[in-house]
Order: sequence, then C-alpha cells, then structure tokens
Amino acid sequence: MEGLLQLLFNGLSVGAVYALFALGYTLVFSVLGVINFAHGAIFTLGAYFTYFLIGGAVGANGLMAGLQLPFSLPFWLALPLAGLGAAAVALVGERIAFRPLRDRGSDPLQALITSLGAGVILVNLIQLLVGAESYSIPVGTLEALPVALSIAGAKVRTVQVLLLVIAGLLLVALSIWIDGSRSGKALQAVSEDPVTAQLLGINSGRMIQIAFGISGFLAGVAGGLVGLSVSIAGPYFGIGYGLKGLGVLVLGGLGSVPGAVLGGLIIGLAEACVPSHLSGYKDAVAFGFLFLMLLIRPQGLLGRPLAEKV
Amino acid sequence: METGLLVQMLLGSLLGLSVYLPLRCGQLSLATPGFYAIGGTVAALLSTRVPALGISDATYPLTSVMLEMLLAALLTGVLALGLGRVVLRLRGIYLAIATIALVEILRVVTLNLEFTGGALGIFGIPQPFSGPEGYAALTFVVLAVVCWLCDRLEKTRPGRAMAAIRDDELAAASQGINTADTKLMAFVLSALVAGVTGVVAAHFLNSWNAKLGNFDASITTLAFVVFGGSRTWLGPVFGGLLLTALPELLRPVGDLRLIVFGAVILVGPLFFPQGLITPELFQTLRRRMGRSAAPSPQGGRP
Repeated sequence: MEGLLQLLFNGLSVGAVYALFALGYTLVFSVLGVINFAHGAIFTLGAYFTYFLIGGAVGANGLMAGLQLPFSLPFWLALPLAGLGAAAVALVGERIAFRPLRDRGSDPLQALITSLGAGVILVNLIQLLVGAESYSIPVGTLEALPVALSIAGAKVRTVQVLLLVIAGLLLVALSIWIDGSRSGKALQAVSEDPVTAQLLGINSGRMIQIAFGISGFLAGVAGGLVGLSVSIAGPYFGIGYGLKGLGVLVLGGLGSVPGAVLGGLIIGLAEACVPSHLSGYKDAVAFGFLFLMLLIRPQGLLGRPLAEKV
Repeated sequence: METGLLVQMLLGSLLGLSVYLPLRCGQLSLATPGFYAIGGTVAALLSTRVPALGISDATYPLTSVMLEMLLAALLTGVLALGLGRVVLRLRGIYLAIATIALVEILRVVTLNLEFTGGALGIFGIPQPFSGPEGYAALTFVVLAVVCWLCDRLEKTRPGRAMAAIRDDELAAASQGINTADTKLMAFVLSALVAGVTGVVAAHFLNSWNAKLGNFDASITTLAFVVFGGSRTWLGPVFGGLLLTALPELLRPVGDLRLIVFGAVILVGPLFFPQGLITPELFQTLRRRMGRSAAPSPQGGRP
C-alpha cells in the first residue's frame, strides 16, 4: 500500500511537470496551429533563472564564470520571477521566429524550422554564458519546510508535494481564465478562427502574444520546479522534456487544455510504473503512447476530431 | 580542405536527399536519422560479428561493404514499407511528430539492447580503405548515383506525381494519381538512401552508437533541405555540403558556431521561403547566360 502510494506520488509529480510543459505547447498550437520547438529551451531558461535568482553562482566555465547576483531571493519569489523572465524571452521568440512568417502567410511548417533555430540559439547561448555543467538548486532553499513528509505512511519528498500543488494551482487558474474571462473567451475565438475573431473586434495579434507569454511563463515555472526537484543537467536538459511534451500533447489532443493535463498525468504515472530493471526503456514510454495514439485516434483523448478542409 | 571533412559533407548531402524525397511530395518526415542509424548498426554488426565478411583481412573487402549496403537497403526498405503504410495516413505536423517518436523509440531501444553495444556502441569497425580519400571516392559514387536517380525521378511520371501531390493532394488524386502509393514510394526511397548512407558512415567513423540517430540529427538534416531548397534535388545536396562545412568554416568564431548555425536555420525560411536553390533560379541563370553569350535577334525581351 505504501509502495503504491509512493508510486502514485512519484508519477503524479512528474506528470504535473509534463502537464505544465504540454500546456504551453497546446496554447500556442491552439492559436497558431504550429508547434513551438523553442519551448524546451524556454523551459531550460526558466530553470537557470530560478537558480540565479535564489543567489546561485555561475560555475567555472562560460563567459559569465563566477558571476552571482548581489541578492538572493526566497524560492517562492524567485520561481514566478523566473517564469516572467521566460515569458519575456518567449515573446521575443514570437516576434522573431513566428510573426514574420505569419505576416507573410507562409506554410505553418516553416515556423517549425524557425522555432527550432530559435531553440538552438537559446540553448547554445546558455552554454556559452554559463557553461555546460549541471547545476542543482540546494534543498535548503525551502527553509522552513522539512525535506520529506509522511503521508498515510508513505514517505514523500516535500519538493514533490510542492510541485504537485503549484502545478495544480496554475492549471486551475489557467482553466478559470480561459473559460471565465473575457480575454480567455477571446483566446478561444482566435483559436477557432483568427480572421473572424479579428473581424469581431478581437486583436488577434495581441491574443497570440498573450498565448506565447503564458506558454513561456508555464514553461519557466516548470523548469524551475524540475531544477529544484532533480537538478539542472545542463543547457540541453529541456530538449528531452520538449520531446516528451510532444507525447503528452498528442496523447491529450493537440490544442486541448484538459487533454494536456490528462496526458501529462497518464504519462507521468506510466513512467513511474516502469519496473526498475527496465528503467532504461522509461524514456520510450511517452513516445510509445504518442505513436499508438496517432494511429488509433490522431485527435487525442480529449481533442476534437480533425476536420478535413477541402 | 581536409578530405575527412569532404566525406562528411558528401554524407550530409545524402542525408539531405533522404529528407528531401518525402518532402518533395509535401510529407515532412523526420525519420531519416532512424533509418540512418539502422544502416549504421547493420554495417557495424555484420562487419564486426561475421568473420566470413573479412574482418581479419588486411583491408576489409569492398565487396563486403557492398553486401552490407544491400542488406541495409533491404532491411530499411522493408521496414519503411511497413511503417510507411501506417504513418503516411497522418499529414502535416502529425506525420512529423510520429516520425520523431519513431526515431526516439529506436534510439532508446538501441541504447538498451545488449547486442548493439548499449550506450558505448560498437567499436573497431574494419576499414576498407587506408585513408579518407577512398571514402571520399565511395561516398561520391553513392551520391552521384542517388543524384542521378533523383534527377530521373523529377523528370518522369512518378516524380511529377510527387510534385503534384505537394501542390495539391486532392487535385492530384482527382487527376488519377495514386497518392498513397506515391507517398509510400517516396518514404521507402528516403529510407533506402538513409540506410545506405549509414553503412558508409559506420565504416568511415570506425564506431557506431545510438547517439548518431537522435533528434538533433533530425533537425540538422531538415535544415539541409530547408536551407538548400526542397524543390529540386540540387537544393538538399547544396544545403548538406554547405551546412556540414559551416561549423568547420566557422571555427574562427569558436563557441559561437552553433549559435550562428541556429541563426541560419532561423533566418533561412524568413528570407528564402523556398530555400536557396529553386528551379526559378536556374531559369534566371540560363536566361542571363544565354543573353550575354548570344544576344537574341529580337534584341531581348520587350
């Protein structure tokens, strides 16, 4: 029973990160119909921002070697700030890699390549500035909180609970915003049809920016949380999450917000269930799900059926 | 220029052509690194584990390399035929994602299997040549053959059908083109080219591991095509040559080279939506050359 509970917690906390990650993909996909391949890099950036804001120093490699902020913020403040930083970078990415193509009405597949380019630039810029070594956010960051909690007899790391709670709050806030506010409705209208939305007085360009901003914020926060619970394994560590995020995205349904959450939790749990002697295959779980889903039900669990436009 | 770099550039061109073939009928498949990895693994396994092929000879026989190519082509071809039937029902971004998933699954499996050498891979792949010059010649021949085939393809019915599907699949189907078969053919050809390239690369690199067919490779090979242009086979050849050489040419800027590489993929589609080399480019060139060599009796265009 305790083992099962532990498994459940491990799976859910990883799944929550996947969900946050995939939500960013899904927001951008729903308004633009493209996948932002720079998303993994934004996630990485969020992790590094969090590390520096809590007062971490740059390692010996890279141009900024030894640099450290003169202040150190508590984690609960550093995390949202890192999210905002990541959002700002995501907006710059939108301006450079997406908007010129959209203005010209190019093939959406082109945006796939430009966003990949933006991601490659970001990742290598990080490597250039702070080096390729791994960083870890010290556990002491969560000052007053104990390292582990005991829930119904199972020992659970506080970080995991925190991760689950923060991700849950963000997901709830996002769905309230999308379904319950004017701007959220406007976003839905743009994802339905940007031109009609524009005719109805919605600033489509602005809504796309908002989608990118929120997507960047979610990725940044997810990055910071993973940095705290595992470590920042180097500038490339977001890429693996980025690819798995695709699995989550397809499983839940492209463009579906509840789908992204459900997909994230399913893949997180499925990965946690992989027995330890097969742990090498864990990374294939998300892709296996992705592949099967595309073959059986390409619109995903909660997506709408693909409309064939003639 | 180093001959080793030349070999890599030629291999890059071949991979570019492999991505180009499905893209020519509008299908963005990122499966090339997967088939490349299969080709490389086949060559690595056969040449190191099957003594009859001649691992103990002073120089590894070229006929054995040919045999490996044949077997790799057979294996990748059959796999592509099976997989293609399934994945080509998807289009656009869905196809791209499905092929990324295939490549990643393959990578994870190769990484974990005993007989593929796990994370370390397979070492000591025997050499059919004593230096890079031999590889340059072999790769050049393979590239020339593939280019010739692509050129033939572009000028014959199946190739035209591919272009028609790219422009408008529905219209192509209504003209009596079997779109499913044409797309499948492009996918299988793409896999064959990647598989054979993997065989050459495995011998050239002397060792083979799971890392060689990963997502990064998907991006790079895609960049070859996007940058060079995907409407004539010269585009990916040019893109492969240039973008493989670029990191070397950028050696003076040191750590910045991957950033510059990223900038090239970012800026390419913005300024050259069709890639650098397009059929129109040749028409313009031909017109210019024709005019300067022999002015037309009418005195040029009105």
